[in-house]
This record gives sequence, C-alpha cells and structure tokens, in this order.
Amino acid sequence: MVENPYLPKLAKIEAIKEETVDTRTFKIKILDEKVRNSFNFTPGQFVELTVFGYGEAPFSITSSPYEHENFSITVRRMGNVTRGLFRLKEGDIIGVRGPFGRGWPIEKIKGNDILIVGGGIGLAPLKPLIEYIILQRRLFNNVILFYGAKTPKDIIYKELFDIWKQYINVELTVDFAEKDWGGHSGPVTVLFKNFKLESNNIYSVQCGPPIMMHFVTRQLLSMRMEPEKIYFSLERNMKCGMGFCGKCMTGGRYVCREGPVFNYSEVKNFLETPV
Amino acid sequence: MPIFLDRIMKYYQLIGPVKTEKGVSFEYVSECDKVDLDYLGHTVLPPKKFFFPPIEEMFAYEYDETGNLRIYDFLEEVSKGMRVIVGVKPCDISSLLVLDKVFTGEYNDPYYTTRRNNTLVVGLTCNKPKEYCFCTYVGSGPSIKKGFDLLLSDLGDMYLVEVGSEKGWKLTKFNLDIFNEAENEDIKERERILLEVEEEIRKKGLPNFATIDKVLVERFLDRIWDDYSRKCLACGKCNFTCPTCRCFTISDEPNPDLKSGKRFRIWDSCHFLSFTKVASGEVFRKDRPSRFKQRIYHKFVYSINEIGSISCVGCGRCIEVCPAKINILDVLKEVIVGGKSVSAKVS
Ligand SMILES: Cc1cc2nc3c(=O)[nH]c(=O)nc-3n(C[C@H](O)[C@H](O)[C@H](O)COP(=O)(O)OP(=O)(O)OC[C@H]3O[C@@H](n4cnc5c(N)ncnc54)[C@H](O)[C@@H]3O)c2cc1C
Ligand code: SF4
Ligand code: SF4
Repeated sequence: MVENPYLPKLAKIEAIKEETVDTRTFKIKILDEKVRNSFNFTPGQFVELTVFGYGEAPFSITSSPYEHENFSITVRRMGNVTRGLFRLKEGDIIGVRGPFGRGWPIEKIKGNDILIVGGGIGLAPLKPLIEYIILQRRLFNNVILFYGAKTPKDIIYKELFDIWKQYINVELTVDFAEKDWGGHSGPVTVLFKNFKLESNNIYSVQCGPPIMMHFVTRQLLSMRMEPEKIYFSLERNMKCGMGFCGKCMTGGRYVCREGPVFNYSEVKNFLETPV
Repeated sequence: MPIFLDRIMKYYQLIGPVKTEKGVSFEYVSECDKVDLDYLGHTVLPPKKFFFPPIEEMFAYEYDETGNLRIYDFLEEVSKGMRVIVGVKPCDISSLLVLDKVFTGEYNDPYYTTRRNNTLVVGLTCNKPKEYCFCTYVGSGPSIKKGFDLLLSDLGDMYLVEVGSEKGWKLTKFNLDIFNEAENEDIKERERILLEVEEEIRKKGLPNFATIDKVLVERFLDRIWDDYSRKCLACGKCNFTCPTCRCFTISDEPNPDLKSGKRFRIWDSCHFLSFTKVASGEVFRKDRPSRFKQRIYHKFVYSINEIGSISCVGCGRCIEVCPAKINILDVLKEVIVGGKSVSAKVS
C-alpha cells in the first residue's frame, strides 16, 4: 500500500511549560525512532498536530533546529483542538504530520542585517530562526528583534530575552503597559521610531496578527526596504498541509505548501491582498 | 453491450449511469441492463464521487485494553478490488485528468490515487449535446484523445470501441468473440457525429476563452462581481456538482466511549463564510464578491499556474443547478465584453 501522508505519526508529550495564562509550550517526542530521525525542519515550517478525539490543527515548530530528540510547539488556547490539547498531560499521546511548508529564507539572509518583528504568539515560528542565528552568529550582521505583546503578562519566552540580548538587539513593547513596566508601550510600530535603514543589505522577517503585518510591511516599504526583502508568515485556515484541501489558497497560491513564508514582492501582485 | 458489461462484472465492480428519480446518476450496478448508455449530456453528480466521495472516512483510532493507541487506515479498504466505470462523457474524463494533476505532485493524495489506479474508465462520446454543454469552448470535448481505457461511441446498431490503454486492451482481448474489427467507415461515422455535436455547441456563439485569464485579472475589481454576488445564495451547489471542484475540510468524530473515533474529510465550498475562517475569528473572504470570485478565478486564472490549463471542462452542471439562475457563461461573457449592457444570448 502506498504511503499515506494523512496518517498522523504517534508522539508523546514530554513536557509542558506555562508561557502565559492561555499559552503553553509542548515538548514533543515522536515515538518511532526512524520517523523521529527523519524529522528535519527549517525554521518557519509547521506541523499538523492531532489531538485524538478533537481534531487536527497547524502549529509552527518553535524549538531550535539543532534539537534532535524532541521538537516543541507553543500553543495559544483558542477553540476545539487547542482546548483538547490543554487537557493533556505529560506522557499523553498525540499525532504529528509534517513538517510542512516553506520556512524562512535562511540562505538568502546570511551575511545581512536582519530585522525580526514578532507580535504575540507570532514569535513562535521566529524563535527557531533566532536560535539558529545565535548559534551561527558570525554568519549574520546586525540582528534586531522587535517584539510586541498585548500586556507584559502576554509575553512568551520571557526567560529567553535576557539570553538573546547577549547576541542580538532586542526591543519589547506592550499595547497596554502596567505600572511596573519600564519599557515601550504601544503597537510594535512604535519601535520603528529610532530605527533607520542604514543599508540595502537588510532583510526583515515578521510574524504576528494580520493587522501588525499590514502596518509593519507598510512601514518598511515607506522606508524603502526592497519588497523582495520583506518576509512574513501568513496564517490561513488549512487542513491538509499539502495543497489539496484548497482552503488556504490566497491569490492562487497554497499558503501551506508554497508558504507560509512569502516575501512582499511575491504577494504584491496577488489579486487578493494577503497583508 | 450488455454481454460485454456482464463479462466485466465477473471480474470487476461495475459503476455506470442509471436512471433515478433525480436524473441519471453514476451508481454501482449489479444488473447490467440497468446501465443507461443513452443518457443525454451529463449525470447529476460527476463521476468524481467515486474517486473523491462527498464524505470519506480516512482513518479510525482506538485505545486498546493496554492503553496503546492504534490507528486503522481506511485506505486499506480503498485498495481492495478493481472497478470499471462505464459511460463517462468526455467532459468528465477531462475533469479526472484535472483532478489527477491536482491530487499528485510534491505530495500524492493516496485516497484519490488509489481509487484512480483501481478503476478502469470506459468513456462514451456524445451523440447530442445537452442544453448547457459547452465543452467545445474549453477544449474538453466532444472528441477526446486521452484519459480513458476504452472509449465507446454509439453508431446506432453497434458501438465503436477505441482502446486507450494497456488495461483497456486487456478488457477487450479476453472478449474478442463479441468484437469485430472496426472499419474505416465506422471511424468516419464517429467523426461525423462528433462534428455535428461540435457544430451544435458552436451555435451558442460564445466568445473565445483562450485569453479569459488575462481579462479576469484586469477585471478583478469590476462592479460585475457585486451584481452577481448579490444574487448568489452562497449555497455551494455549483461547487458540489462541479467535476473539478475538490476543496474539502477535515473533521474528527469521537465515539461516545471517548476511547475511539474517526477522522473524515467532507466536500467544502469556497462560497461558505467558514471556508477561510481562522481560530481568531478572522475570515479572509468575508464579503460575498470575494467568495463568488474565488470559484471563478480558481477555475479560469489560478489553475493555469497550478495545472497548466483552466479547470472548467464545460459540463454545464453549475448552470443547471444554480437556484439563483447564475450562468457562468453569462458571467464570463460579461467579463469579456466588460459591462452590463450585453444581453445574455446564451441559453
Ligand atoms: C502555518 C500556521 C502556523 C500556526 N502556528 C501556530 C502556533 O505556533 N501557535 C498557535 O497557538 N497557533 C498557531 N496557528 C494557529 C492555529 O492553527 C489555530 O489557533 C488553531 O487551528 C486553532 O484550532 P482550534 O481547533 O483550537 O480552534 P477552533 O476555532 O475551534 O478551530 C479552528 C478551525 O475550525 C474552524 N471553525 C471553528 N469554528 C467554526 C465555526 N463556527 N464554523 C466553521 N468553522 C469553524 C475554523 O475555520 C478553523 O479552521 C498557526 C496557524 C497556521 C496556519
Ligand atoms: S449554485 Fe448559484 S447560488 Fe449557489 S453558490 Fe453557486 S452561484 Fe451561488
Ligand atoms: S465550472 Fe460549471 S461548467 Fe465548468 S466544469 Fe464546473 S460545473 Fe462544469
């Protein structure tokens, strides 16, 4: 019988970490050793995760590409599948398909300045890229991370920022600041106030709510960043991950298979405006 | 022909067009004289449903007594047995070739491809077009060159049978006693009939669709779309009857014991609001024109990049079933001419 790419491979939840009130990071180990060893991903790719009895949904891989035994996803509780996942405990069995999609353009951005912009849970697919950059720090020039969350409590990977700051520039902002928040407040675009485009050798990668990506993209275009250097990861309703179910099609392209990462020059002529 | 079908049934499951209350429909047949090879135009639903059923169980899962999770792949069922589908019209044969391209490539959809490999296609050319047929304009009929294992043509007192594949040849090889060598005249007669059908369809005087994609790209923001989408009920009938529409959603159904359940896929429609809804509540095609356009732009614009051709095969089913009487040909004509001033000459 032929290989069936719709069948989830069984995996075990190794660890669960509370990120925020409604967001958790799940460390996952694929049970079958052969499958586990052939599970290689590029930062920016995603898996289809099955919570048996609830269904399947796409989640970005968020662990470092250098981690081999396990991989992680960071999940915000939304509806059916994510609620089901939040009921599970360490040791419980889930299903995994993938990795799917086209990740961040690592080869292209090597040797350049990089501006990374994340909003909310949108930091999840950027984290493996950041960790790759840090491990291969000499291959990249100036690297800046702008991250925005709703409130200080909604910031994910809190414990990592201090580590990251040793290698790259990190600026945080929150939409709604609280008393003891000493940092920036306002949408991510406020962080652009002190940001200047110093050369053409800069790429930007972003992931966040559609509205954030819309404004950040406009901002970068107005600063004359080249459209083919503005990358983002799109979220769409997707079921199969392979370009069959048709749901993620945007402007004639399958976001699951041809994306989720696109650059602005690829999408600017889409009939449907994707960002 | 009944003798041939009878013999096929000894070795294969037979699918063929049969008369039902709702019209002619492809069904599994157990008595070969139920097969209606004289049906006009197309069946209610295209043969797609035998390769990509409206609801398909993909796999079941179950926790066994020891608490281990097991998955039972329904693909195993799909792989069993061989089928022959008879009486597939050229437009529908062409639609299977479209689906073949969609369901293969970087990934292969095993549920679809397994059924395709399990099933011989015995085509049937038309002796007359039906009211809404327009295959000629999209190059999918009335003649057909590939996509069949055998191709039947009704020449009145006999069928001309063209062999299209090795598998088709085997079907005839073991039944040579009921076949005669075709004469040149028979082939000419078929050509004559097909030409007649083609001329009949040409009378519709439709514009050339060769550059329709470019025109559509220019008219993406045209008012035309507001007018049509206001009429559209977003019922999805046009998707569900279309031989090349194949979008689906995936859903899980746990059993009451909560220890087992099934995953299945179900036909979906780009006209539905839920189609592009993500968990945050955002809907990417919220307004009606954007959804109305998606079907048309996928068929006539996006498909060219995706599979190298448009993906409408001119069967006319969507025209026939639309409760709002929206005729895709009116839409396209209007797009080509550009403006509401054109009266719809197409029947
Ligand atoms: C490439 C990609 C990467 C992603 N990465 C992450 C990540 O790293 N972390 C994260 O938290 N999230 C991520 N998401 C989003 C995540 O997939 C969703 O949050 C998840 O699908 C929610 O599933 P749910 O079943 O919990 O939510 P639900 O809202 O129950 O289900 C969502 C799905 O069901 C459908 N649906 C729900 N309600 C209805 C209704 N009433 N009518 C019709 N349809 C309905 C929606 O169309 C949607 O497809 C990603 C999405 C994509 C596309
Ligand atoms: S069948 Fe007609 S009314 Fe229904 S969705 Fe299609 S175009 Fe709209
Ligand atoms: S779009 Fe309409 S005419 Fe064209 S193949 Fe589909 S159902 Fe037939």
